[in-house]
Amino acid sequence: MSSHDEPTDVPPLTEEMAPGTATDPPVGGEAATVTVDGERVQVPAGSTLLDALEATGADEEVPALCHYGREGIGPRSECRTCMVETDAHGVVPSCSFPAEDGMTVNTAADAAETARSVNLDLVLSDHNLRCTTCGKNGRCELQDAAIDERVEEPRYGVLDDRDAYEPLDNTSEFIQIDRNKCILCNRCVEACNDVQVEGVLRVEGHGADTRIGFQSDAETMEDSTCVSCGHCATVCPTGSLIEKGIEDATTLPMPGFTHKNSVGTSVESSGEQENPMTQMKRREDGDTATDGGTDGSTDGSPFDDEETWPPDDRTDDTGGERP
Amino acid sequence: MTDGLLSAETAVRVSGTDPGEELLAAARGAASVPVERVGPTGATALDPLVLATDDGRTALYAGATAERAESVAAGLGGGSFPGDPDAAVDHGPGPTRLPAAGTGPLAVGVRRVLGGAGWVVPDSPADHETAGGFGADDADQAALLDAARSVPGRGWGDGATDDPVADLWETVRGAAGDAAVVVNAHGTPADRLLLASVPFVVLEGALAAARVVDASEAVVYCSAADAATAETVTAAAAAYPDPAVPLRVETGPDEYRAAEPTMALEALEGNHRLEARLRPPGPAAVGLDGRPTAVHTPRTLAQVVAALDGAPTRLVTVDGDVAAPATVELRTGATLADAVEAVDPEGTVKAACVGGEFGGLTADLDVPLSVEGLTGADLGTEGVVELLAEGRCSVAFAGERARFAEEENCGRCVPCREGTQQLTALLRELYEGRYRADALHELMGVMSSSSICAFGVDAPRPVRTAMAEFEREFEAHAAGRCPAGACDGLEMEAHT
Repeated sequence: MSSHDEPTDVPPLTEEMAPGTATDPPVGGEAATVTVDGERVQVPAGSTLLDALEATGADEEVPALCHYGREGIGPRSECRTCMVETDAHGVVPSCSFPAEDGMTVNTAADAAETARSVNLDLVLSDHNLRCTTCGKNGRCELQDAAIDERVEEPRYGVLDDRDAYEPLDNTSEFIQIDRNKCILCNRCVEACNDVQVEGVLRVEGHGADTRIGFQSDAETMEDSTCVSCGHCATVCPTGSLIEKGIEDATTLPMPGFTHKNSVGTSVESSGEQENPMTQMKRREDGDTATDGGTDGSTDGSPFDDEETWPPDDRTDDTGGERP
Repeated sequence: MTDGLLSAETAVRVSGTDPGEELLAAARGAASVPVERVGPTGATALDPLVLATDDGRTALYAGATAERAESVAAGLGGGSFPGDPDAAVDHGPGPTRLPAAGTGPLAVGVRRVLGGAGWVVPDSPADHETAGGFGADDADQAALLDAARSVPGRGWGDGATDDPVADLWETVRGAAGDAAVVVNAHGTPADRLLLASVPFVVLEGALAAARVVDASEAVVYCSAADAATAETVTAAAAAYPDPAVPLRVETGPDEYRAAEPTMALEALEGNHRLEARLRPPGPAAVGLDGRPTAVHTPRTLAQVVAALDGAPTRLVTVDGDVAAPATVELRTGATLADAVEAVDPEGTVKAACVGGEFGGLTADLDVPLSVEGLTGADLGTEGVVELLAEGRCSVAFAGERARFAEEENCGRCVPCREGTQQLTALLRELYEGRYRADALHELMGVMSSSSICAFGVDAPRPVRTAMAEFEREFEAHAAGRCPAGACDGLEMEAHT
């Protein structure tokens, strides 16, 4: 994610990058004094409310799952598990809301607590929660957040339908991708584009199909232009991007019990790549357009959709059985 | 400036969204008087509409065929109107607005902003000037700000939705950097109508905004699906006499979300994938290419121009279970019921979804079409009213909208991307015998309080309002029954 306030000495290479993310405005305000849960705290210019929360220790109250907090990455503010209540603006995301002078923040307000709790459960609803075969078990930020927040039974369940799983991308010698664990925090995309300036990863698709993909239109990590720097795996909060070799590090040592078969299907290396990891393989035509809706087929109105409501698996030609 | 169509005392006008080249050619081939293509009137039931003007009178021929247009054009000038016109209006010499018939959809409401629609040649500056246009070009900034203070932004694509336009202009003017104006014409029928029929009114407003906020350019943003509209406004922009700043026209993908102001900016900046930007700060401070940007819909800008010279009005499109949709212009104080006068509903009206895709459902049409009236009733201000006839199921309607939100969201933030999936799933549960109203309310509240943009904030409204207005239908579905009979054929299970 680039930002409008960046200096102009960004390498020209970045102009060709197409990470698929929005160009967010700079966040953070002027130097301010903020009251967080009754405690006054001064924060320097450029601070967000989360910075103020960190200054008082109130950040313990908010998972702020997608927040990374280092130069060049974030705030993405996608998970909305950092919501706090403010007197001036109601419930706001602390990780990306500027700290304004005189603001009063209440982390324990019902509306903010409910928002954090529901949003954390929404993240879990789309997450493969097979922790016992996950290489990040015990060092997973989502797991930590769920434990800290005492999530016993997520409202919306977890992604446990194996038929709905995307196959593991096991093609690279160095990094494995399990998109079923991805929370779309975008840290990897920013690490790849904004920090390492490699331009390999991007966000693609929309709605439920939003996923991490490759700017070269490659289908697999092996075929991508990845240089194996590993920064994506370093910043990944979950087991979605993980260094090869430790994917089963925390799996219980029982015969036949592995990370790979917990997901079910995987894509393996074709074995054809001779020097897979250092050569840039970006297509020369520079055409990266995939999802932006430029196909223009419909205006997306549900009336254009021939499907009936509810979806076809409930349709019964016989007229329906009513109890 | 050459003479426009308005100076012709005898003329044939061909109006409609797409009257077709054949009809126009037939009329031109037969006539000895000027024959011009004008923009649509907003009353699609009349399309294609041929208007024959002679001797201070205009005859209207609705649903005209090429043959009829040919015979009207050939017979015009004989002292009486050929054929059998659907209506004829006495107006005396040189009317500058569409002479509205006393009955039918054109008689509903007023025609101030829409006055030239179906009457002037859209890209003719001469017609616009004859009709009293270009006044905003001479207005001073104080007058423009006064006018902008009385106009709340129109539509979810506006940077100042429901808030005074002047406040946004002052923010843009006060922000550092070279400012820009974006005319967001993506998506809403009334906005398309304005650009197709009276583009100069909109451009006048855009240039007025540009002068007030000290912008260096104004960009008109259309959907790629509206190629003809984009062409019309491009021609008008090229013909604009001495514009205060350069005007250009761009298109973005034909997707619902592409109308959201920050996604509009993303499209204009050439991003291949559209997602919402964080805020604050919003586009008024950091917008197009990082510049302070006033994003306004054509409706908003046209109303600012209108407010220089009287009270602003409101454009409303009535669609849904109707014979033909209509866009009408109504004065402050008018109600939903007044707008519905412009259409022929298909059957008894059961309810209306007010406020576009993510509008609110109401069975009561006696709601004032004002920001206060609509938001007070938990309805949307988008300016689109969809009628639902008796026999439509409120649960199915809410479910369709939830699924639309699930499929069309940008995918960025959790409450919208995941929330819309769970919202759809919770509604599906009704068909399995479970109605968890508390769970629905909790989820919808969080979507509205924590989504990044108006898409996720507004997405729950159809469900929320359907639950409030038609609670018994929700309960009946959980008991295995659809009172409207619309969900016949779907498997339902009573809660056991």
